[in-house]
Amino acid sequence: MNFLRALLFWVTRSRWLIFAIIIGIILFALPTPQGLSIEAHHLIIIVIITLLLVITEPIPLPATALFIIVSMTYFGIDKPNEIAHAFMNDAVFFIMGSLMLAVAIVKQGWDVRIALGIIKLTGTKTRNVVIGFTVISALLSSFVGGHTVAALMLPIGMTLVRFTSRDVEKSRGLAAILLFSIAYGALVGSIGTPSGAGRNVIMLNYLNESGIGNISYAHWMLYVYPLVIILVPIVAVILLTSFSTSYVVLDSGIRKLKVQVARAGAITFRELGGLFIFFLVFLGWIFFSTRFGLGTIALTGVMLFIIFGLVKWDDINRNTHWGVIILFGATIVLGTYMRSTGAALWLANGLVNLLTSGVEPLGFLADIVIVTMTTAMANTLSGSATVAVLGPITLHMGDNLIHQGLLTAIASAFGFFTAVAAPVCAIIYSSGLVRAKDFFKAGWKVGLISMLILIIYANTYWRLWF
Amino acid sequence: MRLLIAISSKEYSAATLKIGLEIARAFKACVTIACVSPKSSSFTRDQVRLAQESMERWNFDQPAISVLEWAFDYLKDYKFISPESCDAGFQKKLLVKRAGTRGEINLEGVFCKQVNLILRFGETIAELRDEVQKHSYDVTIIGGSQKRRMAHDLVQYIDSSILVVKQIDFNKLYRVLLAVDDSKGTKKAVDFGITIAKAYKLEVDVLTVSKRQRFGAGYRGASDQACKYLEEAGVKYQRHLKVGDPVETIVAMAGENHITIMGISSKNPIKKFFVGSKPVSVMGKSDSPILIVK
Repeated sequence: MNFLRALLFWVTRSRWLIFAIIIGIILFALPTPQGLSIEAHHLIIIVIITLLLVITEPIPLPATALFIIVSMTYFGIDKPNEIAHAFMNDAVFFIMGSLMLAVAIVKQGWDVRIALGIIKLTGTKTRNVVIGFTVISALLSSFVGGHTVAALMLPIGMTLVRFTSRDVEKSRGLAAILLFSIAYGALVGSIGTPSGAGRNVIMLNYLNESGIGNISYAHWMLYVYPLVIILVPIVAVILLTSFSTSYVVLDSGIRKLKVQVARAGAITFRELGGLFIFFLVFLGWIFFSTRFGLGTIALTGVMLFIIFGLVKWDDINRNTHWGVIILFGATIVLGTYMRSTGAALWLANGLVNLLTSGVEPLGFLADIVIVTMTTAMANTLSGSATVAVLGPITLHMGDNLIHQGLLTAIASAFGFFTAVAAPVCAIIYSSGLVRAKDFFKAGWKVGLISMLILIIYANTYWRLWF
Repeated sequence: MRLLIAISSKEYSAATLKIGLEIARAFKACVTIACVSPKSSSFTRDQVRLAQESMERWNFDQPAISVLEWAFDYLKDYKFISPESCDAGFQKKLLVKRAGTRGEINLEGVFCKQVNLILRFGETIAELRDEVQKHSYDVTIIGGSQKRRMAHDLVQYIDSSILVVKQIDFNKLYRVLLAVDDSKGTKKAVDFGITIAKAYKLEVDVLTVSKRQRFGAGYRGASDQACKYLEEAGVKYQRHLKVGDPVETIVAMAGENHITIMGISSKNPIKKFFVGSKPVSVMGKSDSPILIVK
């Protein structure tokens, strides 16, 4: 009886694992479709099983990463050494480096300095504070990544909420406006530069491997930053109109913030040191990333932070999920082999034919499909995993690789709809001040408008450049 | 006796905590108050933890820690913990551990040896199951959920008796509804019912429901036995033998002024999984507190 109950408990908790295994067995039993190699067929099955396991998480993500690596070897996709070789590249270095840099930056205590900047810039009016939060979050996340910004800005937002009103229900609207301005500002800003997010670097790597040459940091900014500038005020306006609050000025919250800032005292030599190292990293990304890679430069920054005692290895180790890094490596392997086995091209052709009934697709329609598919997947999976798996497919859905590549990377940042997809959304959700339903309340407006503007932007502004 | 009280928020868990502590006081039971914080997705877990560390520097606690602090204040206000424990204050550092582990604060109780506050991270049922398995609780007390699956999982997988507190009015005089039949769990349910009725001086309705007009010997015998025990214990009771659908009849009679007590179904776990069981159905439909005795 006890064994049966334990078995049932395992079955109910692992039902998605069982479902994924059954789907895998069925797909393996089916004949290989025409025009697809056996390797590509097997790879597509591994991708489907991986997506099911990543979205539903019946087993820890590192176990899913191990599944990818071992199954690719067992199903003869390539030799073990070749698969292992594809596992680590600059994009994985960058993801690892940016997670570590986030720890180093958050430990520097820059949050207090940012708070000071906000007070000086915005004054006490709620409307101005929301605009200030969105702009600062977007600007910072373009360079240090969204999750770092959210970790720095969240205590500032919470101070304003808690010290404006202790009544949780009464301050819900204010909490939503302020915290969403951090999260959505950071999401929008993260598209602006390659270092804004790991997904951007993954796409850069795919583009480079496709033989179109390196897109520099400056070129990415030239192509994408105007979109950030367009989206930031739109996000702020949508938030101000979606949530209502009776607190039009935040006097007491700002007063408390001033006390916190005063307590921190004058800027220290240590803080200046941290700032200087990050500035070096930033310069490295702009001027040397095409030569040394964004990942190597990020890791150099981490190395300097550790050498100069500005962050402890223990802190980095505690806050870096090595399992997720292994998973990103594994999904990049999947993407690489999707391209080399022809699976990505086959899937892209199938998708285009399905949507256009075989008629040559219009660029505009392909863009709609890419943006919709990527946004939907990014809201259930993760932006980086979406680009890693979907990128090789979307790159084949048109005749301009840079166009499709940037479109995919940008749309993968639109994780506005759910509390779980984007790290910045999960961070503000963890505060307990916003509810899961709040994400959809503002998220669908921000999401749909962002998607629409992206498509128009891609078919107008980008035409000037490529 | 060891009680596990599962709480989730100040808004929804006040009744659960109050009734749990009242029972603990009556039975001089050891109490553990548990808050299960949902785990973030693996993709975002470290970033969330980093943000939480940042919040802690600004003296903002994780929501689950605030909930346990509220429980601590409740214990203090109701003089459930010793003055020494009150003076020591809420030691939240003991709770703040890495996600995936169990943080614990041990307090000295007034009515029992120890009161524990624990913080767990993960899925509610899995964490409560693990807690009960490792620390052998007699009763788990939890607030009601609208999800039918949750009721099933609580009864099926947690190895202790389960008290589900959906709605309770502390100013109302409740009666105990003892649902008895020929299942193995009935005997233990009757013992529990008698203890609770005696502790709170409540009157008992002994209800046996048969689907057929004629009551079998097993059903009638179970009812006779329950009445005999109640008689011996000196508890006032009324006996009801009704014909109809057992679940609907129990729920209708429970209404809003009974605490329903019934034994666990002796059906095979697989059968229970697919077709359900009486206790699970009653738990799903009833609005009053219900205790499933294992």
